[in-house]
Amino acid sequence: MPKLDYTKYKLKNKEELLNIIGDNARIYIVSCNKCFSELKSTCEPETAELNKLLNEAGKTTAGFMPLDFLCNEHLSEKALNSVKQDILKADAVAVISCGIGIQTVAGLLALPVLGMCDSVFQGGYHGISLNTEKCGACGDCYLTATGGICPVVDCSKGLINGPCGGAKNSKCEVSKDKDCAWESIYNRLKSQNRQDVFISEAPKIRNYNKNNADFMDSNVKRIQAKRNEGFYGGLYPEERKELTEKLVITKIADPEIVSIPLQQHAGAVCEALVKAGERVSLGQKIGASKAFVSAYIHSSVSGEVLAVEPRKHPLLPFPVLNVIIKNDKKDEIAPSVASKGSLSSCTGEAIVQAIKDAGVVGMGGAQFPTHIKLSSAKVLDTVLINGCECEPLLNADNRLMIERPEQVLTGLRLIMKAAGISKGIIALEDNKIEAFESLKSKLAGDACIEVISVRTKYPEGAERMLIKRVLNREVPRGGLPLDVGVIVNNISTVVAVYEAVYNGLPLVRRVVTVAGAGVEKPGNYEIKIGMQVADIARACGIKVPDNFELKMGGAIMGFVQDTLDVPVIKGTNGIIVVRKKDELTAEPCIKCGRCVNVCPMELKPHKLVLFAQAENWEMVEKEGVMNCIECGCCEDICSSKSHMVEIFKSSKKALKERKK
Amino acid sequence: MLITQLKKKEELLPFFKENILLIACFGCKEVHFPSKEYELLKAELKTLNLNISGEIVLDYLCNEDYTAKRLELYRNEITKAGTLLVFACGVGVQTLAALLPDKTILAGCDTFYVPGFSGFTPTSYDCEQCGECKLGLTAGICPLTACSKGLLNGPCGGTKNGKCEVSKNMDCGWEKILLKSKAIGEPNPRIKEIVSIRDYKKSFS
Repeated sequence: MPKLDYTKYKLKNKEELLNIIGDNARIYIVSCNKCFSELKSTCEPETAELNKLLNEAGKTTAGFMPLDFLCNEHLSEKALNSVKQDILKADAVAVISCGIGIQTVAGLLALPVLGMCDSVFQGGYHGISLNTEKCGACGDCYLTATGGICPVVDCSKGLINGPCGGAKNSKCEVSKDKDCAWESIYNRLKSQNRQDVFISEAPKIRNYNKNNADFMDSNVKRIQAKRNEGFYGGLYPEERKELTEKLVITKIADPEIVSIPLQQHAGAVCEALVKAGERVSLGQKIGASKAFVSAYIHSSVSGEVLAVEPRKHPLLPFPVLNVIIKNDKKDEIAPSVASKGSLSSCTGEAIVQAIKDAGVVGMGGAQFPTHIKLSSAKVLDTVLINGCECEPLLNADNRLMIERPEQVLTGLRLIMKAAGISKGIIALEDNKIEAFESLKSKLAGDACIEVISVRTKYPEGAERMLIKRVLNREVPRGGLPLDVGVIVNNISTVVAVYEAVYNGLPLVRRVVTVAGAGVEKPGNYEIKIGMQVADIARACGIKVPDNFELKMGGAIMGFVQDTLDVPVIKGTNGIIVVRKKDELTAEPCIKCGRCVNVCPMELKPHKLVLFAQAENWEMVEKEGVMNCIECGCCEDICSSKSHMVEIFKSSKKALKERKK
Repeated sequence: MLITQLKKKEELLPFFKENILLIACFGCKEVHFPSKEYELLKAELKTLNLNISGEIVLDYLCNEDYTAKRLELYRNEITKAGTLLVFACGVGVQTLAALLPDKTILAGCDTFYVPGFSGFTPTSYDCEQCGECKLGLTAGICPLTACSKGLLNGPCGGTKNGKCEVSKNMDCGWEKILLKSKAIGEPNPRIKEIVSIRDYKKSFS
């Protein structure tokens, strides 16, 4: 249980409240759920108290809205807008909050705003967690000289040059419940034999100008700009792209055996078209399904089928049928692998067919079949190519843009033609200067395609965030990019489209970034689908150190692998080794609000956790768990170390099962 | 909320006497901790042949329970180190000092205040937690914090073109209050009431 409660407001007394409310007859109540206190309920008792008082005084309550973190202007504005009609009917808005919340509401509404609370002084800043230690944020830290006890906050007079002399029996003269801070400082230093340090120092004068209005203002503006850059929320993780960004895409020695899962896409699992003992050639279709949402599977080598059997899947929690093929290393190409034509010779339908035949899926991780996106009946106007690769460490797409810009551009033009769209945009993060230049140089004045660079921020590569940033359109909750007229594809997918049309080559290989701690030969490798991670580990010299783990995908959203006996699949953009997360158990939420600040989907992760743990599925659904994109920002930032993504994944599963 | 800045190298160097363990708190990494400057400083310290025994990177040092658990993991390094140089806000440094009372703790950062309480939502306005909220009378603009002098009974007269005489980048709080009052209808007549002298004791009750 949280030990402390940092509630910052208390309701004014009755007389004062009535005095403030005055002649206003219809009152709308906005209340803030307290921050930095135990998360128990989602509406604070003060609201009911005020409501009762209003009723007794013969006033009408025009409505009420409890909100989390009222000071979060972006979210509060949206919430208040959603009830604007009710608010406008009121004479005034009564706000139950600390002074910051009241000022936020007053700034957002053109109605008289009545402050219903007095804010309670907390004496300094208490960090992000509930803590007895506090900081005066004086800008001139004295803790080194004072044994780590703060004289500014802990001494009731804020003296910085020793005690005042008013202490009696170690207690402060201001309150006998308070220890004399300077005595504590002296005792601490004495125990370390350092008591001479501060005594011998010249007296200090506190410089109150260190944090002046201009400096403070510039900090606020800088942080706000970073927070709101492009889209709401998100994080700026350490990128560590430099490990592989200069490494040219190289081939890795082909494996002896490949194991190709029959499910490498969103949708129905494929049925095997081959049996053990059969010979297959490179590019031969070995898996297909009649379902609408599915994608063909092809052999990535030529050789003999050893078995068709269930094996562990790198992403799915259950075994999936795999076609195990012994590679004869002859790379005999299937007769079906032949060029389907070119951008000018192919019709739109032919391109879609080629993409379908090649089993192309979204290669950024979601693995949604590309041909389905292109066959949408919706009115579309833009193809947005996602070159952000916002996950730390990954460079596969980056290298493709640097080394194969023509293929990227042609692939994009093919997609535009197939979907009948005349506008294409390639968006990449501003940390990919070389890729940007490379694409620009091959653009040759094509006015239909725009290459733009956006400021780096995670999770920019999430299609919703990218659409918001680049086109300033908001994909509705529960909707798809198609709903706002956009098709989003990632760079690897576009290159696969190019290969599917120009070379008739199915999706049988992809570029994978191998990097991280304990990787002897990091790089961007072209790897055949179905190659075992164990073989790659041998070829690249991967030794996972203690306290580290191997992930397939990115550093944040990637899937942890407990064995190396899993194959590379179509969506594997990275094989990386990263530090394990703390395995400490989660502490109760203290409502620090950071998860709400970083959630790019504008959800309230802390509340979702509360409801999920209480198995209150109605509320979990209402709070929008299905809209969670599992980007992991909330978990990364959580000061209570809640395993949020895991909780949300199982909540989604529970909701789906309930619906069945 | 608050924000940290590295102390100058010259300020830190006199303390480099015995073997030093660096502890950095990256809890507020993405916006607030000067991580790039920290990396540069670390590289520079390394070239100076100083006796640095190691580095521990943690987050949310202010989370006492976690920090206590995690310090257990690094007990050896900490025991060996003579001094800990902590790069964190004042709360983090104090938390560590309280958990390791027998260790000399050095503060590597200065901590500055940024308006706003909850999490890390920075606001351009602030609340002084005076315990006598006047916002209902002042169109939701706080005279204590929006006026650089914290005047409760109207402007001082030192404003020029809507700007405060203390800083020309700062709007006059009282002018803002009056403009906003007019914008939302008639100014609350009670705005003209003389506000009693601020009771500083209230904020502690």
